[in-house]
Amino acid sequence: MILDEDQALIRKTLQGDKKAFEELMRKYEKRIFSFVIRMVRNEEVAIDLTQDFFIKVFNVLDKYNFEYKFSTWAYRICYNLVIDHIRKSQALVSSLDDDSVSSREMLSSENVVSHDGFKNLSREETSAYIWKLVENIAPKYRELILLRYIQELKYEEIAEITALPVGTIKNRIFKAKEILKREMEKDGLPA
Amino acid sequence: MACLPDDKILSYLDGEIKSIEQSLIRDHLLLCANCRRKAEGYAEMNKILAQPALSQPPAWLVPRIMKRLYPEIHSYASIAALIAASFVFFVSWIYIYFDFSSNSLIQALRLTADRTSNWLVDAIKGISAVYSSVQAVFKACNAFLGVLLTTRPGAGALIIAFLLAFSGLLLWAMIRLLLRKPREEKH
Repeated sequence: MILDEDQALIRKTLQGDKKAFEELMRKYEKRIFSFVIRMVRNEEVAIDLTQDFFIKVFNVLDKYNFEYKFSTWAYRICYNLVIDHIRKSQALVSSLDDDSVSSREMLSSENVVSHDGFKNLSREETSAYIWKLVENIAPKYRELILLRYIQELKYEEIAEITALPVGTIKNRIFKAKEILKREMEKDGLPA
Repeated sequence: MACLPDDKILSYLDGEIKSIEQSLIRDHLLLCANCRRKAEGYAEMNKILAQPALSQPPAWLVPRIMKRLYPEIHSYASIAALIAASFVFFVSWIYIYFDFSSNSLIQALRLTADRTSNWLVDAIKGISAVYSSVQAVFKACNAFLGVLLTTRPGAGALIIAFLLAFSGLLLWAMIRLLLRKPREEKH
């Protein structure tokens, strides 16, 4: 059986090579942390959850099936951990969806919006603004956007992780983009 | 000419549309400025979403996780030191309290040494010398304790309680080190 880079690291970890697991963590820490922090919107909680995630992965690593991609397996663990946390803490505060208010007030207070509107924003500023909007859309849309663009997963992989049909995932991602576009237009950003 | 629904434009940009419909949408976008503007907006958004600014976790996170997953080896040295300290302390207070003045242990060691090689004799003599010195200290402590007990009867019980508590503390620390498991750490 030919092992990919992740699987080779897992094999080494299971054989007792602690550097291998460290390498695996280094490879995934940014993507995992980026996903978690945008889901829970609290740095301290995100750090704790990222730590819990890696410890959980380590503890169940012997149950990993080498026939599947490690990233999909790991993201599923991460996704479940985050969703469990959100359910328990009921940290779902006001979100942007069809019925909610614009995020403009929140964003302007954080100096993302310039006085001249968005026309003068650089690409970096526009990107920061859009990602800020993503953090404030409803979780059912946000999680899919994050899985798709932070974790760079295919629709089929997202379906495997979230147990949602591929069609629903596509629809929700489209819907999320429409919401983002609407919010951008409200704020004067050409979208 | 009716404008395309947004989901159709998004599907087209994602490459989800089959070839015939794809060319129809492409033609429509060429003719309809409104849909073209929308498509350009979505394409720009796709580009931005596809290049997310990833958040960097704190630099200490991975080392902290590693420490939890692989507790450090140096704890064995601490365990050995604690065992030794506990043993010495435990024996000390027994000697002080019970006044073990018999030399039977030294005699047994010497007898064994006579029948073995010279280096072992030297080693055992060395041990004997250390033992004798320690014993002298014990005797001095014992004498001090004797004086204390005759002058202040209650002090003996207090000293013994203190020695027992200290030995217990050392043993507890040792057991805790031995059974140490990864646990939650807060930064």
